Amino acid sequence: MSSVPITAFLALALILFCIGLYGALTKRNTIIVLISIELMLNAVNINLVTFSKYGMTPAITGQVFAVFVIAVAAAEVAVGIAILLALYRNRRTVNIDEINTMKH
Amino acid sequence: MENAWLIPLFPLLSFVFLLLFGRKLKEGSAYAGILLTLASLVFSVIVLVERMAAPASYKAEAVWLKIGELELTAGFEVNQLNALMLVIVSLVSFLVHTYSKGYMHGDDRFHVFYAYLGLFTFAMLGLVLSPNLLQTYIFWELVGVGSFLLIGFYYFKNEARAAAKKAFIMTRIGDVGLLIGMILLFWQVGSFEYDEIFAAVEAGSISGTMITLTAILIFIGAVGKSGQFPLHTWLPDAMEGPTPVSALIHAATMVAAGVYLVAATFPLFAASETAMMTVAIIGAFTAIFAASIGLAQTNIKRVLAYSTVSQLGYMMLALGSAGYVAGVFHLMTHAFFKALLFLAAGSVIHALHHKQNIEEMGGLWKKLPLTGPLFLMGTLAISGVPLFSGFFSKDEILIAVWAHGNYFLFILAVIAAFFTAFYMFRLFFMVFTGEARSPLGNVQESPATMTMPMVVLGVLAVVAGYVNTPWFGTFLGDWLVEGNEALGHGHIEGPAWIMIVATLVSLAGIFLAYLMYYKKSLARDWFTSRAPITYSIVRNKYFIDEFYNLSVVYATRSVSLFLRFIELFLVEGLMKLVAGVVSLLGKSGSRFQNGQIQTYGMAAFLGLAVLLLIFALTGGYIG
Amino acid sequence: MTLSGEFLAFMSLAIVAVVGGMLLLNLTKVVHMVLGLFFTFASIAGIFILLSAEFLGVVQILVYSGAITIIMLFGIMLTRHQDEEEQPTVGAWKRVLLLIGVLSFGALFYIGIYGLDFGTTPAALHVSNTEQIGMALYRDFVIPFELMSVLLLVALIGAIVLSRKDDGKEAEKQ
Repeated sequence: MSSVPITAFLALALILFCIGLYGALTKRNTIIVLISIELMLNAVNINLVTFSKYGMTPAITGQVFAVFVIAVAAAEVAVGIAILLALYRNRRTVNIDEINTMKH
Repeated sequence: MENAWLIPLFPLLSFVFLLLFGRKLKEGSAYAGILLTLASLVFSVIVLVERMAAPASYKAEAVWLKIGELELTAGFEVNQLNALMLVIVSLVSFLVHTYSKGYMHGDDRFHVFYAYLGLFTFAMLGLVLSPNLLQTYIFWELVGVGSFLLIGFYYFKNEARAAAKKAFIMTRIGDVGLLIGMILLFWQVGSFEYDEIFAAVEAGSISGTMITLTAILIFIGAVGKSGQFPLHTWLPDAMEGPTPVSALIHAATMVAAGVYLVAATFPLFAASETAMMTVAIIGAFTAIFAASIGLAQTNIKRVLAYSTVSQLGYMMLALGSAGYVAGVFHLMTHAFFKALLFLAAGSVIHALHHKQNIEEMGGLWKKLPLTGPLFLMGTLAISGVPLFSGFFSKDEILIAVWAHGNYFLFILAVIAAFFTAFYMFRLFFMVFTGEARSPLGNVQESPATMTMPMVVLGVLAVVAGYVNTPWFGTFLGDWLVEGNEALGHGHIEGPAWIMIVATLVSLAGIFLAYLMYYKKSLARDWFTSRAPITYSIVRNKYFIDEFYNLSVVYATRSVSLFLRFIELFLVEGLMKLVAGVVSLLGKSGSRFQNGQIQTYGMAAFLGLAVLLLIFALTGGYIG
Repeated sequence: MTLSGEFLAFMSLAIVAVVGGMLLLNLTKVVHMVLGLFFTFASIAGIFILLSAEFLGVVQILVYSGAITIIMLFGIMLTRHQDEEEQPTVGAWKRVLLLIGVLSFGALFYIGIYGLDFGTTPAALHVSNTEQIGMALYRDFVIPFELMSVLLLVALIGAIVLSRKDDGKEAEKQ
C-alpha cells in the first residue's frame, strides 16, 4: 500500500527544513525568525513520523517523539514571544540586526 | 648574648609603628623612637658586658636558602668588634633620637623623620650583627636607603634632592665593587661566612692574586660608603640633610661602616700586602686631602664633613698599616667626638635660625653657655690635644703607621693632624669668639633635650680614650684581639717621641689658628694673598666635582642621550610596529564579531555544509 | 508509482506546504507571511494523517495552526511594525552564499535519501492510533512525559514573569 515512496516524504521534509533554515538566517523580523524555526521543527516531525511508519523498525515511538517535539516547540514559542515582548518594551524594536548587544 | 638579635628589632618596631600611627602621634612620635632605641641601647650594653665576661664569641644561624649543595645561612654573631659597634651605634642613635626632639620641633613631617631614623638604626644594627657577607650586603644597602631618605628629608629643596641622589649613586659605585668582590669570594670559597672565608685564606686555598683582587674590591665598597678619595664628594653634599642626621649617619655610624667592613674582613686584607698598601695609601691621601679642603670652607657643617672624611682616612690608614686596634679605637672615639661636634653645630644652627655660614657668626661663647664649652671639648678631642680621647687614638694610629714602616705616610698623617687642629680651631674661633659679623637676632641656648645628649657625648669625648692608653693599660686593644692572632697585637710599641711630635703638631695648629683668628696678629689673608691660585683650588675642593661633572657625568649623559634616541626610534618603533600589527589583526577580527546572531548562525551553518561536502567528496556515504 | 488517491493527496498537500514556505520567504508583509505559514502547517497535518498518524495530525492543527499561529499574530500586533519587510539585514553576497550553502546542503541530503527503501512492512499504526500513543506514553515514556509537563509549566511561568516584569519597570518609570 506504499504507493508514495519514503523518499517523497523525506524530500518534502528536506525542502521545508531548507526553507526554514534560509528564512531563519536571512529574515530581519524576529517573529519571522521564530516562525522559521518552527518550520524547521515541523520538518523534523515529518521525518520522525515517516520513519515511524516506513523505518527499519516501524513502531509508534516515532509519533510519541513527535508529540514531545510539538510540546517543546510550543513552550519555545511561548517563551520566545515573551522575550520578544520584553525586548520590544526596552528597545522599541523587533529587528534582529538592532539587537546586537552580544557585540559588546 | 643569645638575645642579641632583638637589638635591631626595636628600631624596626619603631619604624613600623611610626609608619602606621605616626600621623596621629605627631610630636609624640619622638617618645616611641626614644624609648625603643633606649631598649636597644640597654640590650647592647648588656651584650657588651656579657661578651667581656664570656670566653668566646657567640654565633647563631639558620639555613636560609638551599641551592643544591650550597647553603646560605642567616643569623647573627657577637664578637668583640660587633659588641663594641652595637653599643656605639645604639648609643649615638639614642642620643640623636633625643636631640632631634628639640631640633626638629615644629617640623611638619616630624613623625616621618623619626620613622626614617628607626629604619636607619635598624639597618645599621643589623649590619654590625651580620655573620656573613651576604647579610652584610643586604643591610649595607638598607643603610644606604636610610641615608638617602634622610639626606633628602627636605625634599622640597633642590640641593637636598640632588645631594640625596648624589649620595645614593656614588655609594652605589662603591657597592658594585663590593658586590663583585663578594661574588668572587663566594666563587672561590663557596660560602659567604666570614669564618669560612678567613679559614680558607689561612689555609691558602685562594691564590694570592685573588685575595688581593677581592680585598681591593671590598675596599672599593668601603671607599664609597666611607667617603674616601675619589668617591668622597657625596659626603659634604650630604650635609643638606637635617643636622642630627649628619651626626648620626654621616659622622658616627654609616660612614664608619666602610671602616667596619674593612675591620670585619681584616684577616683577608692582612693576607695581601698589596691590598694593605692600597688601603693605607688611599687612607693617608684622603686624610690630608680632605683636611686641606677643610681649611678653606666657610659652611660650618661642611668643615665638619671634610673633617669626617679626613678622620675616616685616618682610620683606613691605621687599618692599612696593620693597626687593627688603632683603627677600631679611633672609630669609637671619633664616633663620640664627631657626633658631639655635629650636635653642637646643630645647636648653633638652631640658635641662629638655620644660618650656616661661619663668616656671619662670631661671639657666641657667652650667648651659648653650654654649647660653646661642649664644642670646645669636641674640638680639643679631634685636634689631638693630650688627655682628650682623640689624642690617644690618633697616637695609636701614628705609632702603627710608624711601626709598619710607612714613613712617607707617617709624615702625611702628621701634616693632616696639623691641618685638622688648625681648621677646627679656626672654626671654633670664628664661631664663638670675637664680635658677631652679622646681625644674629635673638640667640638662645637650645632646650634640654638637645643639650643633654651633647653633655653625655662631651663626657665620652673626654674619657673614651682612657680604655686604651699607653699609660693606664691597653684594655680595649687586648680585648679586641683576644683569641684571634690574625688581627695583630693589642698594642704596638712605638718610640716615645711620636707622642711628643703629635702633641706639638696639634698645639702648633691651634696656636696658628689662635694667631690668625683670635689675636688677629697674623692677617687672615696672609696666605691667601700670597698664593691665590692654591687658595682658590682648595676653596673649590680641588675642582673634583667640576672634574666629575665634565668627565664622568658628561660622558654618561651623552651615552644615555644616545641610548635614548635608540630607545625612541629603534626600540619604540619596533614595538609600535609589533603592537600595530597585532591590533590591526584584532580589529579586523573584531569586525566579524558584529553581534548579529544571524551572521554567527550563517557562519556555523556554512561551516557544517562545507564539512559535509568534504565528507561526501572524500568517500563518505556517496562513495 | 501508480497514480493512486494517496499519491494525489500527497502531491497536493506537499505542493501547498512548499508554496506556503516559499510565500514565507518572498512576501513582504509580516501578517501575510504568517498566513502563508498557516497553510504549510495545515498541509503538514494532512501529511501526518497520510502517514497514519491521525492523533498527531489533529495535534498539529490544534497546536500549530491554532495556538502558535495565533500567538504569533498576537506578537505581531503587540509590537509595532513597519508593515513592509525592509531590506534584509544580510547583504546580497551573503544571501547568495547562504543560498549556495543551503542548496548544497539539501542536495547532499537528497543524494542520501534518494531511493531509500527499507523494504519493511509498514506497521499498523492507523488502527486505534490514539490508543497506541497513549499506551506508549503511559507505559514506556512516563518520565519524559512528566518532565514535559514540568517543562511546559516552567515555560508558562517564565513567559508570564518575562512579560510582567517589564510592566512593573514601565510603571516605575512613569
